[in-house]
Amino acid sequence: MSTVLWIILYPFIAFFIGIFFMGYSRKFNARVQRRIGPPIIQPLFDISKLMSKKTNISHGYMHDIAMLMLLGGTLLTLMFIPVPGFHYFSQYGDMLVIMYIILVPPLGMALGVGETANPNGSIGISRALMLLAGYDVPFTLSFIGMAILNHTTSLYKLIQIQQSGGIATWGIVTNPFLAAAALIALQGMMSEKPFEVMIAPHEIATGPMTEMGGKYLGIMFIQHAINIFIELTIFTSLFLGGALNWVELIVKQFIVFTIVLSVNVVFGRYRVDDAVKFMWKIPVPLAIIGILFVIF
Amino acid sequence: MEKQVTARNVWERIFTKLNKRSLWMLHYCTGCGAIELPPTMTARFDMERFGIMPMVTPRQADILLITGYLSLKTLKRVILTYEQMQAPKWVVGFGSCTINGGMYWNSYITIKSLDQYLPVDLYIAGCMPRPEAIIEAFNTLIKRIDEGKADAWKDYYRNYDFYKENQRKVLGEFETYVDIKADAKRFGIV
Repeated sequence: MSTVLWIILYPFIAFFIGIFFMGYSRKFNARVQRRIGPPIIQPLFDISKLMSKKTNISHGYMHDIAMLMLLGGTLLTLMFIPVPGFHYFSQYGDMLVIMYIILVPPLGMALGVGETANPNGSIGISRALMLLAGYDVPFTLSFIGMAILNHTTSLYKLIQIQQSGGIATWGIVTNPFLAAAALIALQGMMSEKPFEVMIAPHEIATGPMTEMGGKYLGIMFIQHAINIFIELTIFTSLFLGGALNWVELIVKQFIVFTIVLSVNVVFGRYRVDDAVKFMWKIPVPLAIIGILFVIF
Repeated sequence: MEKQVTARNVWERIFTKLNKRSLWMLHYCTGCGAIELPPTMTARFDMERFGIMPMVTPRQADILLITGYLSLKTLKRVILTYEQMQAPKWVVGFGSCTINGGMYWNSYITIKSLDQYLPVDLYIAGCMPRPEAIIEAFNTLIKRIDEGKADAWKDYYRNYDFYKENQRKVLGEFETYVDIKADAKRFGIV
C-alpha cells in the first residue's frame, strides 16, 4: 500500500524540489548580477501561466506524442532512482537501466522538434545530441569506476556501502578523480554554462523550445524540474553517499547545485565542437586515471 | 472609456492572480527606443522582480513590446509575429511614434497609429520613455490584467475584419499564416 502511495506521490515531491531548485537558480543568478531577482516560486507562476494559455498550436501527431515521450521517459527514469523511503523499483533496475532510459526524453524531444520543422529547433536538437556524446562518456566511465570499486551496479547498494562507514567511504573521498570527472559531466548534463550551447537564446532562439508555446512549453518546464532532481540525486547517490532522510538529501543536492550554478554564472558559452573537445580532453582522462586507481 | 469587465469564476480569478506574475516579453525593436530596455532588464531597474522576462520567440511570449516607429515593411513583420503568439497576449506601444507617428508624422512610409492595425492594450508616451516609465507601464498592465480589463487580444478575434481592412489599405493584399476566424471558433473565443 505504501509503495502505491509512494509511486503516486514521488513525481510530485520530485517536481516541487525541482521547482525550488529552478527558482533558486534564477534568484542566484540575479543576486550575482546585483539584482533583486524574481521570487523563489517564480517557476510555479510560469508553469501556471503556460498551462492556462487559451490557444495552442500543434504541428502534428509527432509533436504531441513527443511531449508524452518527454514527460513519460522522465517519470520512468525517476521511478528507478532510490530515495529515502522508496527503493521499490531500484531492486529491479540498476544504474545501467537508468543510463539507458535517461536517453528516452532527449530522443522524444528530437522527434517532436523534427516535426515542427523550425531550423533553430533542428540546430538546437543536433547540438543537444552532440553534447550528449560529449558528457555521456566521462559520466559512464566514472560510473564504471564506482561499480568496479564497490562490486555492484545497483544504486541502492552503492548508497548502502557508502553509508556503512561514514564520510570515509563516500565516493568523493575514496576516489576524487571519478567524482571530479562526474561533476564536470554533470555541468554538461544540466546544460548549464559553459555547456549551454543547446539552448543559446542569443544565437538560436532557445533551440528545441523555439516552436513550443503554451502547454507544450509548460510540459517541458515540468520535465526540466523533475530532470534537475534526477540528475542531482544520481550524483549524490554515486559520490556523496546518498541520504538516509529527505533533509540530508536536499542539503546535499543544494550544495552540488550551488557548485554547478557558481560555474554557470561566471562562464560564457562554448561552441559545440569546443564543448565536446573539452569533455573528451579533461574529464575523460580524469575518469580513466580514477579507474586505473581502482584497478591497481 | 471604461471597459466592461466580463464575469469570471473563482478558478479564473485564482489563475489570473498567479499568471499576472509571469509575463514574457518579446521586444520588437525597430527604432531608437530599444536603448531604454537594457537598463530596465539589468541591475538598476530589474524588471524580473515582477516576473517580466525578455523572450526570444513569439510562441513563448505574452507581451509584444513595439518600440519606436513602424514602417510598412516592419508592420508586416509585426503582424506576422503577433499572429504567431499564443493568446492571451498583450501589445504595448512604446514611445510617441506608435501613438501618432511622433517625429515621423509626415513620413510617407511609416504608419501613424498602431491601434488601427493591432489591438493595443497600453501606450507608453514619451520620446523616449525612461525605464521608470516602462516599469510603471508594466505595473499598470499587471493591474489591468488582474482586474480583467486587459483583453484587447479578444478584439482581434472579434473585430478581425476591421483590422484586416486597415492592414489591407496600407500593405495591399497579403495573407498571414494563421486563420484567425477558424482559431476563434476552435478555441471558443468569440
